[in-house]
Order: sequence, then structure tokens, then C-alpha cells
Amino acid sequence: MTDDANARSDGGLGGMVEREDSSESEPPADGEGSAGDDETDAERAATASEFEGEDLVIGYPTGDGPVVDGESIRVAPGEVTALVGPNGSGKSTLLKGLADQLSLTAGTVRLDGRDVHAMDTKELARKLGLLSQENVSPDSITVEKLVAHGRYPHRGFFDPLTDEDRAAIDRAIDLAGVDHLRDREVGQLSGGQKQLVWIAMVLAQDTDVLLLDEPTTFLDLHHQLEVMEIVETLRDEGDITIVVVLHDIDQAARYADRMVALEDGSVYASGPPEEVVTEDLLADVFEVEASVGKAEWGPDIRPERPLHDDSAAE
Amino acid sequence: MASESAEATDVVSTRRRVVGWLSGSLWSVVLGSVAVVVAGGLIQVSFGAYSMTIPQAWGAVFDTDVIFNPQAWEAFLLGSEMPDMETRSLIVWNIRLPRVVVAALVGMNLAVSGAIFQAVTRNELASPFILGVSSGAGLTILLVLVVFAGATLSIPYYFGTMFLEISSLLPVFAAIGGIVAFLIVYAIAWKNGTSPVRLVLAGVIVGTVFNSLQTGLFFFADDIGVVQSAIAWTTGSLTGVDWEEVRTVLPWTVVALGLAVVSARQLNVLLLGERTASSLGMNVEKVRFALSAVAVLAAAASIAVAGIVGFVGLIVPHMVRNVVGSDYRRLVVGCLFAGPALMVAADVGARLGMSVLFGSDGQMPVGIVTGLIGGPYFLYLMRKQERMGEI
Repeated sequence: MTDDANARSDGGLGGMVEREDSSESEPPADGEGSAGDDETDAERAATASEFEGEDLVIGYPTGDGPVVDGESIRVAPGEVTALVGPNGSGKSTLLKGLADQLSLTAGTVRLDGRDVHAMDTKELARKLGLLSQENVSPDSITVEKLVAHGRYPHRGFFDPLTDEDRAAIDRAIDLAGVDHLRDREVGQLSGGQKQLVWIAMVLAQDTDVLLLDEPTTFLDLHHQLEVMEIVETLRDEGDITIVVVLHDIDQAARYADRMVALEDGSVYASGPPEEVVTEDLLADVFEVEASVGKAEWGPDIRPERPLHDDSAAE
Repeated sequence: MASESAEATDVVSTRRRVVGWLSGSLWSVVLGSVAVVVAGGLIQVSFGAYSMTIPQAWGAVFDTDVIFNPQAWEAFLLGSEMPDMETRSLIVWNIRLPRVVVAALVGMNLAVSGAIFQAVTRNELASPFILGVSSGAGLTILLVLVVFAGATLSIPYYFGTMFLEISSLLPVFAAIGGIVAFLIVYAIAWKNGTSPVRLVLAGVIVGTVFNSLQTGLFFFADDIGVVQSAIAWTTGSLTGVDWEEVRTVLPWTVVALGLAVVSARQLNVLLLGERTASSLGMNVEKVRFALSAVAVLAAAASIAVAGIVGFVGLIVPHMVRNVVGSDYRRLVVGCLFAGPALMVAADVGARLGMSVLFGSDGQMPVGIVTGLIGGPYFLYLMRKQERMGEI
């Protein structure tokens, strides 16, 4: 927390401004930018939603004191932003605050300029989807029916599923690659398959902003990669803004356009992975000694040993 | 693969959805339940103090002079003057059948109410009475029978004052007592919103206090008749019910169960847990309160005509879920049929069991029989099914 070398507490505004400006130009995909894998295609930024939290103070009603204290975060439209940090650093709390699932003690969260806490819950759920860390469902529900619940915010009290709803459900099932599980009961699926199904459900919600709370934790490697592949596909399609809490900093560095590292409820650093992931950060925030190399996909982290409090202080 | 084939598959998929909804398992619940209700009903109309043969009794049930007589239906459902009819038809239609109808309505209300509470509290042990409804109703019943016995209520009326004996309003007070207890439970559980666990705990607290008060009041009852009547009310009884009870319970039943059927999707979303429901844009607190209110309304309606019939609301949803799965769109419909089946069958035992077993004329409170029939069946299901009890 004493290291000021990295950009912090401005919510990482630096480095983003130019990206937004450049979003006026047309051609996508070709990586008009120059800054490594930090490409931003114009279309993405043009259609995706702008999402930011300002001076957020978030705590639990029962807890003492706020977990996140006065932080700002701004998420670039159409990009994947990863929140990383050790256990208890406030990643999930921040995410819940951003999703209006925890009321803010102070601060505002804005989606395309509008305060989300003032929005109608269903209206918000049409624009912002949140996948919680742990999910429960009746065992006997079929995959298709569970995914169909993602259409809840789009339906009135009496509305049956419309063609549009069904198209969205099909698309979500397709995107999450769970078509072969469609008629299976959720209770019979493995943990990894279940997670893909839940992702399909939030995708069916068809939102502009998607918040994922540790979607890869507890999954085997195969399903972790499946999940991150979905995130990558969404990012390449480009009209959705994603904030994902990741436990695995390596994964975050690999798949995210930008990273926000949290420590004790404050933003320690934010920016593109190669700027954020440093040996200092790993020592200060994660308390590990590690070497950070450079690979084609970004920073290459090799953890060596845990640092204990006495040795961490330098 | 999108546009052209979409239209062609649409018809197929629509058909598949309708067929899927009315799945074979739901059909078997519906048809099986109807069979039980019909059989129970025919037994009920065949026996009684006025002796007639079975063909005579069944002939009276299908007496076209009654079935196609709008005046008779007006008398049954709106309480107007009863038209002239044969004695047998009168006995069957006016005395024996209404009891079957009330049993069926009470069974529906309790089963659906229990199903709703199991979803709202996400607790497989939930019953219509989990949020204090039964203890509130029970306490009011005792208060009316013991403390305010013989008291009259004067209601200023258009042409003077109407005097009503309070005990004649017992059903109404019982229902109101249940609703008040529910509101108290909700108020206790509320602290920046509620949670299923807080609600259930508050229900236990209120239930314990009210039950103690209720038991305490038994000591002040000086008449065995009062005690028996109190027990009949607090265990649930259909003795002596009439078309008037049908008229009392029917409107509330239609409202509550209609709301339950259309809210099935909300219940399904609630089953995904509060967090998911809320991130899908549901206002969980509002929906939970509204659904609880619907369930309490159904329970109160059944209390008003039959007293506190236990067990039906707990086990029927499990029985149905066991067959049709936990999709509430099917479960609620299944409960609409299976609830009456259990209740009508139990009432056969309550009304005729004593005379078959002991040759006596007495009747048992139906609430005792629902436990005796439902318990073993529930046990059988539990042993047979591994996943029993899961919501």
C-alpha cells in the first residue's frame, strides 16, 4: 500500500482517455492501436456501455466499517476488466456494489451516465447481468429452463416467452457451448458444466454489462479455459462490457484488457496487465515472491515462495 | 440456420412446449387425484344417518333435476331459497355433497399454500402454518370459545344495531387471528429486509408463545363441550359443513389459487436463491411478501371453514414434486388436484371410520386422519425415493 509507483485511486483514468478518443475511427479488429495486446476496436467502444463507480464506500449492514472505502473504478466500454486481489480484499464486495446488490454507503455507480441505484430493478437487470460466486437451483430443472430464467427482466408478469426471448436463449446456450446439455437436469451435471449453464443464463439476460464473480474458481482446468474462452468470444464480439473477478492472477493477466488490483478494499493499481502485474505488486498485494517475465500473451508470472510479514517489509 | 428454418421449427417447438408442460407425470397426478376425489365423494354420499342404497344415492348425485336446475345452483352457491326436490336428492346434494366440496377446496388451499411457503422460505419443512398462522388462529379460537364465550358484538347497522354472538363469527376470527400472527412474524423478522431463515425463526418464536397461551387457556375452559369444540377447531374438522361454508371459502380460494397459478414463474425464480432472483431484476422483498400473503390468504380461508388441518400443506407438495419435479408451473397445478385427493380421502375416514371400526356414530376431526393417512404414505415415499424432500 505504500508503493505509489503505479497509477492508483484515479480509478485508472489514465491510459483510457486516448482509447475513447480513438474510438471514432472505423475499422475494427485490426489492432489500430500500438500498445501490445491492449487493442481496442472502435466498434466495441462505440456500441458498448460505459460503466463507472465513483467514490464508492461499500460495507455489509452487519459488518463493522466499510469493506471498500472510497474507491473509484471506471470500466472501458467493450473491454474485459479483471478485478484481482487476495482473499478478503473486497473484490466481490466491490462487484456487488457495482451491481446494486449491496447498497452503497456513499458514492454512485453510473451506467451510460445514469445512476444504477435509481434505476428500476428490472430495467437495471436488462442492462447489467451479475453471476454470483455460488448458485443454487432445484436439481430437477432442465438446462433449457434454467437458461430461460435469464429472460426474467425482459418479461412482464403475464408475458409468455416471445420469439425474441427464445432466440436469446438459443444464442446464450450456443455461446456457452451447452447445447448438448439442453434437456439434461441441472442436478446431474458436473460442477464445470453447471457453471457453463449458469453463464448461459446470464448471457440470456442479454445485457450490455456483465459482471462475473470468480467464474473459474473451483473448476477443473478444462472448464476454467471453457469459461475464459466464452469471455474472450464475448469480448471479440465487442458489444458487451465485462468485469470479472478472478482469483488467478495469471488468468487475469492473460485474458483481461485491463486489470484492477485491490488490497484491503482500495485500488492498488490499475491499467493494462503488463503495467499492473509487477514483482512489486505480487509482493505487496499477494505477498508472494515471484518473477514476472514477458511472454507473447502478456506478463508471465512464476510464483516462487510466500512472503511473510516480516520479510515483506522492505 | 436462422431465418427460414425458424418458422418451420416454431410450430414444432410450440407443440413440444405445450406437450412438455402437460407432461405425462402431471397428467397422472391429475387423473389419479380426480379418481380418488370421485371415489371418496361417492363413498361419502352413499353412507349416513338417512339410509339409502348405493344405487339410490348415486342416482341422486346424478339427478338431472338438480344438476341442470339453475335455481338449485343459485341456492347452493348464492344462498337463495332451496327449490323443491326429492328427499334423497336433498340429503345427498344438501348435506353430504357440500362436505366433499369443502374438503376438496380446503385441500387445494392448504396444498398450494404449503407449496408457496416451501419456495418462499426455501425450506422443505415449510407448511402453510410455518409463519405463525396456525398458532394465531388457534389462540383466537380459544379466546373466542373460552374468554369471550357468550359475548355479543353490536354492530351499528342501517336500521339500528345488529347483535352478533361472537362465537358465530368464530371462523372469521380464526382466519383474522392467523393473518395477524403472520404480520407479527413478518414485523419481527424485518431488519433491513428479511431472509428465509429469519422468517422461519420468527415464525417459531411467535408460534411458541401463542401455543403456550393457547394451551394455558384450556385450563380456563370449565366445560368439556367447550374443550371438545376447541380441539375440533384446532385439529381441523369438517363435521356439519354445508353449502354456506362453500360460499365462505370459494371466493377466497378462487382469488388465492388464481394468483398462485399466475405467480408460478416468480416462485421458480425465487428457487434460484435470493441473489440470483435479485440480479435478475426481481424485487425479492416485495415478491416474497406478496407471495406469502397469497399463501396466508389460502390458509386462512381453509381455517375459516375447517379449522387448522395439519399435514396436508406439508406433504402434498412433496408428493406432487416427487412425481412432476420442482417446476412450480406444474407443481401448483398438481397441488390443486392432489390436495383435494388427500383431504377427501381423509374425510371419508374421519366421517365413517369410527362407525366401521367401532360401530359408533362419532366422527373424528379430519386433521387426525390426514396425519394417519398422509404420514405412512410420506414415509413410504421417503424410503423409496432418495431425493425426497429436496425442493
